[in-house]
Amino acid sequence: MAQVFHPAANIIARLSIVVGLGGLVGTLVLFDALQKSDYVTEVNMPREQIVPFSHKHHAALGLDCRYCHTSVEDGAFAGIPPTKTCMNCHSLIWNEAPILEPVRESWRTGTSLEWNRVHDLPEFVYFDHSVHLNAGIGCTDCHGRVDEMPLVWKEKTLYMTFCLECHRQPEKFVRPRDQVFNMAYEKPANQLEVGAELVRVHNINTSNHRLLDCYKCHR
Amino acid sequence: MSSLTPSTQNTPASVREQLSLVEARQQLEGQTGRRFWRSLDELSRKESFGDLLQQEFPRFSAEWDPMHRRTFLRLMGASLALGGLTACTRQPREKIIPYVKQPENMIPGKAQFYATTATICGYGFGLLATSHMGRPTKVDGNELHPASLGGTDAALLASILTMYDPDRSQSPRRKGGATAATWETFDAELQAQLEQQTAAKGAGLRILSGPVSSPTFLALMKEVTTRFPSAVWHTYEPVSRSGWYEATVAAFGQKLDPVYNLADADVIVSFDADFLSLGPAHVRMARDFGSRRSVEAGSMNRLYVAESQMSTTGAAADHRLALTPDAIESVARAVAHALGVAVTGSHDTPHAAWAEALAADLKAHAGRSVVLAGEHRSPALQALALAINAQLGNLGKTVTLIKPITATGASLADLAQAIDAGSVQALLMFDVNPAYDAPADLALAERLAKVPFTIQHGLFDDETGALSTWHVPASHYLEYWGDARAFDGTTSLVQPLIEPLYKTRSELELLAAVAGRPGTSGYDLVRATWLDTLGGDLAFKRALHDGLLADTTEAAVSVSLAWKDAGPGETPTTPDQLDLAILPDYAVADGRLANNGWMQEMPRPITTLTWDNALLISEETGGRLGLATGDLVELDSGNGKVTAPVLVAVGIPVGAGVVHMGYGRTAAGRVGNGVGFAVSPLQTAASPHRASVRVRKTGDGFEFALTQESHTIAGRNHLRVGTVSDFKADKKFVMKFGEFGGKETPSIFPPHDYSQGPQWGMVIDLSACIGCNACMIACQAENNIPVVGKDQVRRGREMHWIRVDRYYEGRAADAAVHHQPMTCVQCENAPCEAVCPVAATVHSTDGINQMVYNRCVGTRYCSNNCPYKVRRFNFYKFADHETPSLKLQRNPNVTVRARGVMEKCTFCIQRISEARIKARREDRAIADGEVVTACQQACPTRAIVFGDIRDPMSEVSKRKESPLNYGVLAVLNTRPRLTYHARIRNPNTSLETSSPMESSHHGA
Repeated sequence: MAQVFHPAANIIARLSIVVGLGGLVGTLVLFDALQKSDYVTEVNMPREQIVPFSHKHHAALGLDCRYCHTSVEDGAFAGIPPTKTCMNCHSLIWNEAPILEPVRESWRTGTSLEWNRVHDLPEFVYFDHSVHLNAGIGCTDCHGRVDEMPLVWKEKTLYMTFCLECHRQPEKFVRPRDQVFNMAYEKPANQLEVGAELVRVHNINTSNHRLLDCYKCHR
Repeated sequence: MSSLTPSTQNTPASVREQLSLVEARQQLEGQTGRRFWRSLDELSRKESFGDLLQQEFPRFSAEWDPMHRRTFLRLMGASLALGGLTACTRQPREKIIPYVKQPENMIPGKAQFYATTATICGYGFGLLATSHMGRPTKVDGNELHPASLGGTDAALLASILTMYDPDRSQSPRRKGGATAATWETFDAELQAQLEQQTAAKGAGLRILSGPVSSPTFLALMKEVTTRFPSAVWHTYEPVSRSGWYEATVAAFGQKLDPVYNLADADVIVSFDADFLSLGPAHVRMARDFGSRRSVEAGSMNRLYVAESQMSTTGAAADHRLALTPDAIESVARAVAHALGVAVTGSHDTPHAAWAEALAADLKAHAGRSVVLAGEHRSPALQALALAINAQLGNLGKTVTLIKPITATGASLADLAQAIDAGSVQALLMFDVNPAYDAPADLALAERLAKVPFTIQHGLFDDETGALSTWHVPASHYLEYWGDARAFDGTTSLVQPLIEPLYKTRSELELLAAVAGRPGTSGYDLVRATWLDTLGGDLAFKRALHDGLLADTTEAAVSVSLAWKDAGPGETPTTPDQLDLAILPDYAVADGRLANNGWMQEMPRPITTLTWDNALLISEETGGRLGLATGDLVELDSGNGKVTAPVLVAVGIPVGAGVVHMGYGRTAAGRVGNGVGFAVSPLQTAASPHRASVRVRKTGDGFEFALTQESHTIAGRNHLRVGTVSDFKADKKFVMKFGEFGGKETPSIFPPHDYSQGPQWGMVIDLSACIGCNACMIACQAENNIPVVGKDQVRRGREMHWIRVDRYYEGRAADAAVHHQPMTCVQCENAPCEAVCPVAATVHSTDGINQMVYNRCVGTRYCSNNCPYKVRRFNFYKFADHETPSLKLQRNPNVTVRARGVMEKCTFCIQRISEARIKARREDRAIADGEVVTACQQACPTRAIVFGDIRDPMSEVSKRKESPLNYGVLAVLNTRPRLTYHARIRNPNTSLETSSPMESSHHGA
């Protein structure tokens, strides 16, 4: 009986195995890359807002973060300022600028401004700003240089792996408490030593990896 | 009565074999030591019950819903394909919507607490309501308020769900609908009606409400009577207390209210009084009662109960008799006679020994005892109780009498007469539902139709609303301003937590309109009442903050007994009839909470029945009448008939039956409609709580949803009970039960290190637990626990994280009842953790068995491996994600679980986190008592203690040191963090000579 397959078929068979497997791996790699891409994570993508509020501009004027984000030291949420906070100044300056019309409309009608959320954790994650500030985690550690952003974008993915970096080794990130609002803070060269001391001073209990307890974030 | 149609599948008779009394008795004979049982099936050791035990989830839980295998595979294939795709969706975009002007002192995401007041039958009850960003999410007892002292009950805890009930009435409605029904048209029509009434001085005007303690309401009522001198106010409460006032008039010549001081009572006697669950002071009385149930803390009280039902009070008793009301009265008369009270007629009773022992005990504790009689029972019985108290010198010591707190008007029967006489032209009804719950002989539904102009003001457009000219929606107590007085006179303000969700008005606002002041706000009305009395704005704010007005308790009235026994007030029922007790339900009360899913699904104490009422009869009565659980019977009182399913229960007197009010609603809403059967056809105005009925079997069957056999861990010594003498003889008698600490066995898992930081633990004192289920509903409110419905409960899929297990002990005829709240015990060596393939349940460093919902893939291995059966699985999407109003109630700090996810108690991890973060922010350790779990907070008897077991000074550590402390199934070496204190009873040695503990024990 004649051979069914020509010897060249061997090459085709081997090739198809390589191509098939390679394709599968390639797809997975591609998929992974896509998942980590800015397109999916929305990192570095400025978000349109109802009023093109510039943190860069307002920070340059010397406003402290806490002038608007009032509850950042006391509660889970940093707090988005009520229209009243905007009107404190903008009833006097730029009070006729067309760009601020939504703010004035909100003030007149009593309906809230609607901002697009930039940093949005999943519903099953319970993050608390106050406890992180208290531990010596600065604004910029998660939010980046907001003082240099005209429109805010996400600097970090805020994926669980990002959170765990610090929850595994807080000494790599902790800074003195008086530096948490310092936008321009640079880590010292000997951060690990300084950090370890700060972890002790700030009473961060890391025994048994307790910062990795699931319930710290998930309840 | 849709739910009473015969079930098509598995009539109970075929599922469970008929229970044989003889068999059950034989099982008990030859038993030594303590033997606990959960159901009559278990007592008789049915084979089917054995099968039940083998299953993870009992009965039909693992059964497929009717579906062919091929359909299933097709659907699974499709959902796999689609499920993979849907996983690719991106996180939905969200908006942040800040305030325009942010309220002062508000920190977004932080709960705020406000004191307010709920009313129980007109009496005030101080609450502390939790508000998240303006949404009230939970109510708890106000620690400063004398009716609460921090505790609550299930009904109060569930009252918040009623506010968010999507079936609540949202706008006025006029019968016929010819006029556009708005508040404006209503106001115009009301004022026109009132104008007409002015000429006749209001002779045709009637107002019907429940009894009222609110000073503002009563002041407005005075204004109404000034404007309409001939108008009449009627009051009506389905749970009748009229016998009580008749008794005080007979005994002391005036209407009086009682204040019982159980904290100072060494001996408490209840003649059919369910004082731990009923009445305006029951939470406080439970607290005082519980405070004297610790054998270690000092002298225990002793409770004697003679009752016609199986109540939570009866379950808490040291000595209990199940008797019909007439027999209870003869016991009371015998006790009175033995104490030297002059009684007429016979004082013979078959229970003479019991009565004598009781009388001797009372005599020994004269001035330090309390005798209570059920306020729904005859005035004669209650007067006897008062006479005994007077004879013992208890008056002014443990029993104080004060002027009535609630004002009452003319009766409902008077109203019925007036309607017949044609003298009622306009009738205004506040928060009453006589068309549903009035006794049948008053035929209120027909009579209401004869009144030309009727207004029903209520939360729901209910049975009465359907018959009224106008239905106008009422505000919930968390939405309006008001005031109320508690059982002891303490006055408190009703402070709203939220603007009315719908266009509703409060009673006060409506009454002001009748008084000639339409449009006056509730706030102005209440302020006008109190501002001057209190002496200014600051004091008003103080009263709002504290939740009560200082020094407003009512002074005791000094009385002298002027009473002559007029002979028996209760007559025996003829032997061919069933002596029926018609009682308010533990869950839905008089039907007010019928549309409350939490209450419908709460297993009723003792019976563990959900989503139904039933005719409860004892095994012996069932044997006589040839009835078994699940039989449908017709009850005929001569005045009316109802069809009821039979539930054979423990502790019901022979020849008697018990039915509960509040079911068979037709206009309650989507939850309450058609659940159970209405009992009002059996009630009469003269005897609303007792009837003689003939029982006829219809031949049809009925399926109940009972939780008593779900999650059974029978056959082990998880319950430990002893008496005071057991304890005195051997402080470590609990050890005799055996099953203490298991051996350390080698493990493939690394050991946990519990040496650092707080280590959370809990102790539940079984001596103090009264099985009231407040913990269960508090947990439901706190942890966003869904309601699953009757069918799912029947399959054992109820979701309650904490359940109250109920055990019987002894013979079926006079079994003792024990309660054991059971929730995740947070094993240090947790069997569930070892089997989770995705590490969705893992241990925290502070000793909590964490449940990570977002990781759970629903294998249910953990539940299979849990020896305590405390894990709950979302077989379906049980949580309501759609109804907007229900979303408002949710606790934002707890994840709302989706389908296919396992869940369980986590010791209120959100509260632990909150305390931990607060302590961190303040650079200190968490103080003892700072973390209070929801169940602990609600418990009226303070049976639950929670805290850091690593801190030797903490309350929980001290409790764990007690010799009464034991862990359930500790023999498995699970090292539970939740442990129990054995239940200690305090029986009278002259009645219970030999303690079962003295005989031999199994185990050890």
